Amino acid sequence: MTPAELTPDELKRYQWQLWVRDFGQEGQRRLKGASVLVSRIGGVGGSAALHLAAAGVGRLVIAHAGNLRLDDLNRQTLMTTDWIGKPRVESAERRLRELNPLVEIETVAENVSEANAAGLVARADLVVAAAPLFTERLLLNREAVRQRKPLVDCAMYDLEGRVMVVLPGQTACLACLYPEPPANWKREFPVFSAVSSTVGSLAAMEAIKLIARIGSASGGLAGRLLTFDLRDMSFRTIAIARRADCSVCGDLRS
Amino acid sequence: MKLRVQYTAQLRTAVGRTEDEVELPEGSSLAALVEHLAAQLDDAAAGHLVGPGGGIRPSLLVVVNEAAAPAHAVATTSLQDGDVVLLLPPIAGG
Repeated sequence: MTPAELTPDELKRYQWQLWVRDFGQEGQRRLKGASVLVSRIGGVGGSAALHLAAAGVGRLVIAHAGNLRLDDLNRQTLMTTDWIGKPRVESAERRLRELNPLVEIETVAENVSEANAAGLVARADLVVAAAPLFTERLLLNREAVRQRKPLVDCAMYDLEGRVMVVLPGQTACLACLYPEPPANWKREFPVFSAVSSTVGSLAAMEAIKLIARIGSASGGLAGRLLTFDLRDMSFRTIAIARRADCSVCGDLRS
Repeated sequence: MKLRVQYTAQLRTAVGRTEDEVELPEGSSLAALVEHLAAQLDDAAAGHLVGPGGGIRPSLLVVVNEAAAPAHAVATTSLQDGDVVLLLPPIAGG
């Protein structure tokens, strides 16, 4: 697809990022021509969606079920207090539109399930997985691999965060890392917004780099797990090998 | 030989500390280390390392000296004195 031309308004809005090395107007046009699915727009995914909207991704598909609760508000920074009891995606859509009305926002008031995973992934060029349940993440991974779309998986716990990029057929996928839904994960996790937002920001940057083709694939987190701990500010990346027996990507060639 | 074992995420919460120094016979395998830890730790912590049948959890990422240990080689990977073993159970906080 030919990336769309930029309008004078867009050239002004994005002026400060057009100065980024290896980006420029060509990168901006690629962002404008791209669509990203963000699965759940809570602490991590909400931050990712915010930065993708600010950067000018053409279309965002945000999926998250349920109504806003008071105890969401310590981390779900797309939400507003006046929206408690109303659908989360509505609050998120309003905030994203207020930030950047040029971005097309599609809301889906559902979480990822076996019934909707393929359809949701089909609506976007790239997937950001940020759900608090492995079943949803692994479903998105399976569909992203099937449809050969890049996936950015991003997660946190306490003051720790992890981000990994999956390029189907080229790098390890999430099922290479987690061959079965982990039995011990408890959905209730300690979280500061400052941590979840950091993870979401890193995920958004990986998505922007992939779409706009900034840097090389090896320079990002393709096939590498970033893991960090903000307690001692330690950051490390760990190469994750593909599993030949992976049930999702084992048979896939690049 | 002496090894440094580092815990992360829910495993660290369950263990209640960041790391341990562990002494094992020379040439012990990674699997032997995980089994040793599972026997020493309480059930909540051990559950992050091994499943009900005693096998290492397939989704536990084991990193030795900054390199991920391949899942298929955990039983045959020999450890050396001074190795640092980082244990990363899965996390999905969003």
